Amino acid sequence: MEATVVCVDNSEFTRNGDYAPTRFQAQADAVNLLAGAKTQHHPENTVGVMTMAGKTPQVLVTPTPDLGKVLNAMQELKIEGDVNLATAVQIAQLALKHRQNKNQRQRIVIFIGSPILEDKDSLVKIAKKLKKNNVAVDIVSFGSEEENGEKLEAFHAAVNSNDNSHLVTVPPGTILSDMLFGTPIFMEEGAGGGGEAAGGGGGAAPRSNVVDGFDYGELGVDPTLDPELALALRVSMEEERARQAAAAAAAAQQAGGEGGAAAEGAAGEAAAAAPAEAEGMAIDAMDEDALLQQALALSMQVDQPAATPAPAAAAAPTPAAPSKPAGEGAGAGAGAAATPGEDAAMADLEVDDPELALALQMSLAEAQQPPKEEDKKE
Amino acid sequence: MAAKDLNEAIDWSAVECLNQKPDHTVQNALKQGYREDDGLFLESDTDEQLLIHVPFNSACKLSGLVVKSTKSPDQAPKRIKLFVNRPTIGFGEAADAAGVQEFDLSESDLEGQQLQLKLVKFTKVNVLTIFVESNQGDEGTTIIQKLAVFGSTGDSFNVAEIKDLSKEDK
Repeated sequence: MEATVVCVDNSEFTRNGDYAPTRFQAQADAVNLLAGAKTQHHPENTVGVMTMAGKTPQVLVTPTPDLGKVLNAMQELKIEGDVNLATAVQIAQLALKHRQNKNQRQRIVIFIGSPILEDKDSLVKIAKKLKKNNVAVDIVSFGSEEENGEKLEAFHAAVNSNDNSHLVTVPPGTILSDMLFGTPIFMEEGAGGGGEAAGGGGGAAPRSNVVDGFDYGELGVDPTLDPELALALRVSMEEERARQAAAAAAAAQQAGGEGGAAAEGAAGEAAAAAPAEAEGMAIDAMDEDALLQQALALSMQVDQPAATPAPAAAAAPTPAAPSKPAGEGAGAGAGAAATPGEDAAMADLEVDDPELALALQMSLAEAQQPPKEEDKKE
Repeated sequence: MAAKDLNEAIDWSAVECLNQKPDHTVQNALKQGYREDDGLFLESDTDEQLLIHVPFNSACKLSGLVVKSTKSPDQAPKRIKLFVNRPTIGFGEAADAAGVQEFDLSESDLEGQQLQLKLVKFTKVNVLTIFVESNQGDEGTTIIQKLAVFGSTGDSFNVAEIKDLSKEDK
């Protein structure tokens, strides 16, 4: 949650047309966009606007959550005079100090498109005062950026605390608002953001997307922005890899025949894993164990003639079983709830009539009994 | 009413400290548990001054203040000013104005001894502002390990303590 005061440069220098359509219009677009972005980030964010040039710096809108007021104020700006940065920044600080909601953090955004008249030392002094009062300052330099460069860098260095302030320089011939859109100035505080555009305006540093030994780069997501999505993608990616490795292991084993199944499986898995690792996919030791287990389970299944999935195979013992459950069923009388085993036995004698079913069961039981009696005799 | 630690009466979301180092915040000195740990402390950032606003949930009557700083004797606060119900006061104003009460801290005070406040001037405090003006050795930064405010909450009413008596009997 923050309160922002945007300092607009309305000096005569902003009539320059090096940023389409003019410096002033480009700046007005950027301010409107920025005010929209700030109020979108948090419903209690407020944005104010003040001018830096003219007779004296003037607050046009005190920080308000009402975007309309900001847009309206930008419409009525007049271009005149020279920028008085030192005074403007201190007025902005006062406007922020008397914000209504004390929970809001304070931020000043300075748009500067004309030469700065103050010397470096006085700017640094003001910057230190701002830092002391917990005010963050974002600076957009867009025109006269070479003359102002040194002063603004010194100012930024003095005010920056815990990386809460940013300096962005936008070169001429570009669309100001477009260039700003990807910068930390437009992002919510603490979001981190993608490219750090400070200094060059677009010189995005190559970011490493490797987290916990897993490379998110290939997935096209930033794990810091959306950890849940990243985790979900990672899990499904790893499952797919495990499945492929297991399939490869099974294929290799089938080709190699029954002998040395486990060794073959392991070799197949290693072969499958090798290219994967070449692509930068690190599989943990844990995963390797899991893969080995899976490969072994697959090889066991191939041994069984009935190629049923593992749980089913565990539930139904062998084809030789039916006679025994049938005997049990007879002993319990005409059991209304048929057990799965009984079902298997009676699959070929599926009858609707309960009496017929009972008769069939009894006949089955009789067929079963003689050998049992013989057993007892022995 | 007996003076007690007012830690529970502090409105934590609105506690504000100006000129604190981002990694040595006021929470380290004010919060229960953190403040007992001498390794966690509040340190000033650009210069030796600190301005700490401590708002309370209800108007409190204050009787005592503890400021502990033994980590580095030279960096311990020296002159402090207290202001009552001045939530918007800044460094400039705090340095110029006379505080409701002012202290020049001695070494024994800084070992955690309670400073007695003028009871009549701290009867209805919604926001207590502690301004640290200077430190013992004129060092660049000031360190505070523990801050505690003592007093009574007055006629506050805690809704959480309401019990349903009809259910208790059964």
